[in-house]
Amino acid sequence: MVSLEDLSIKKVREGIAAKEFSAKELTESFLGEIEKKNKDLNAFLSLNKEEVLKQAVAVDEIAAAGQKLPPLAGLPLAVKDNILIENWPATAASKILENYRGAYDATIIKRLRAAGSVFLGKTNLDEFAMGSSTENSGFQTTRNPYDLERVPGGSSGGSAAAVAGGLALAALGSDTGGSIRQPAGFCGIVGLKPTYGAVSRFGLIALASSLDQIGPMTRSVADAYEIFKILAGRDSFDATIIDVEKEYSLAGILDRPERFKNLRIGLPKEYFEGLSDPAVKAGIETAIEKLKKIGCSFQEISLPHTSYALSVYYIIMPAEASANLARFDGIRYGRLDDLNGKKLNLKDIYLKQRGEGFGREVKRRILLGTFVLSHGYYDAYYLKAQKVRRLIKEDFDKVFDGKVDVILAPVTPTQAFKIGEKSADPLAMYLSDIFTIPANLASLPALSLPIKKYVIGGGELPVGFQLIGRPFHEADLLGLGNLYEIS
Amino acid sequence: MISADDLKKLSDLARLENDSAEAERLTADLEKILAHFKELEGLETAKVEPLAGGAFIRGGLRPDDPGSNNLSSGEAKAAFPEKDKGFLKVPPVFE
Repeated sequence: MVSLEDLSIKKVREGIAAKEFSAKELTESFLGEIEKKNKDLNAFLSLNKEEVLKQAVAVDEIAAAGQKLPPLAGLPLAVKDNILIENWPATAASKILENYRGAYDATIIKRLRAAGSVFLGKTNLDEFAMGSSTENSGFQTTRNPYDLERVPGGSSGGSAAAVAGGLALAALGSDTGGSIRQPAGFCGIVGLKPTYGAVSRFGLIALASSLDQIGPMTRSVADAYEIFKILAGRDSFDATIIDVEKEYSLAGILDRPERFKNLRIGLPKEYFEGLSDPAVKAGIETAIEKLKKIGCSFQEISLPHTSYALSVYYIIMPAEASANLARFDGIRYGRLDDLNGKKLNLKDIYLKQRGEGFGREVKRRILLGTFVLSHGYYDAYYLKAQKVRRLIKEDFDKVFDGKVDVILAPVTPTQAFKIGEKSADPLAMYLSDIFTIPANLASLPALSLPIKKYVIGGGELPVGFQLIGRPFHEADLLGLGNLYEIS
Repeated sequence: MISADDLKKLSDLARLENDSAEAERLTADLEKILAHFKELEGLETAKVEPLAGGAFIRGGLRPDDPGSNNLSSGEAKAAFPEKDKGFLKVPPVFE
């Protein structure tokens, strides 16, 4: 069997086509890795061995018939447990959905199936994607493969740990305020948050509908590109979707990496002023130096409203979440067992189900959202936040209008922190999203990538950085990221 | 700024039952978070239009056609805790 360490999506496809290995053998190898490592990492919430092997055999049948393999043939993928796969558990790591199973395939799951990907299982997250460490899961705490005493980041921490730990070749995450990029940074992998409107959210359990995007988490930028090409595109079930390919071509960005060195890169001074961690600072400097050697040009820019982004986000996101989570009422999506048989009226069912089914962080955000939307406070909080959201977006518009093509910034203020270190102080936890939130508020694409290749057991914790681009210019980020990675 | 009564009212509006220890902790958390939002007060926004949704929505309406991809009611109903003659069963709202 092929070495799992050197794999890429391309190598998997070519290896299966050349009969060097079968999709079934590859899937079994990854299931073996999960068996070995998941008890330490707690990356997966549920597996579906029977189903995934069936999917793999179907790919092998295409190869055996001598037909052309689909682009993601045999790709062993882990899926964040807030994304629906028909008849698979979909808990969003919440007790309130403990017994729920997806009633249909998310649009992106349908596309990935058609592209030949196989689904290893569902990964852990902060409950309803609310968190930055995956400690808020209602079921288990995921650990960082680089140091089991540290968090993998969040909310897509299970997906990040699965990819970094070699339990899956790639994974899906969702990013509302940094939930793909921050764990990617903490675990030394690549994570792409697409432009708002690039990837369908149909079948994603919604957190904040004006911010949520699904994206790939991978070992390399090239793999992120291959998956993003399949995820992106119109969907009649999500009215926000714009065809990325029509906006700015994704074609051939891996074939001619050199052309991306001409992109003008901006360094936002507000992000660097707020940076105090020496390892992160040194890492970012290394990345800038490397890009300078490649031939990229840099200039300092200013995004003056950056410091307000955290407050704006923690008003808008809970407001939207409080509305989105109203549907979990103990009626339509299954019920906690211990209420069965009790004679309760409808309101009491709601109160008890939600009181017992939601964890503390979810309650905190629902109450915060209810507060900022309530009569007498709406103008001072919610409306104010929407206005400042526009100012934050306009900051980006100004620098992208002629000055720079791409922005380079830190993705996390620190390296992975210890389990328990921030869980008692919600505000300290929120601050770990400080560099990722602005791209969500401004609906922009952003790519998180490691400064260098890290090795588990090498004595170093990963550091990442992010590239933020113009709307629908994922090609710039992936092209420049790929150039960085291969140089 | 947030009293115990305020939290009770918010919890009732949001349909969340909390025991008293949890209510106390949530009140303290909300106080701290709301205090952080004070920084927005000093920012002049009288002439700024609010940005409501994702920034690039262009109105992607599809034809008004049910299509073939819709959930059959059977699949959606699978999660209902109680059913009666194919309908979702809930306790009476008016008693």
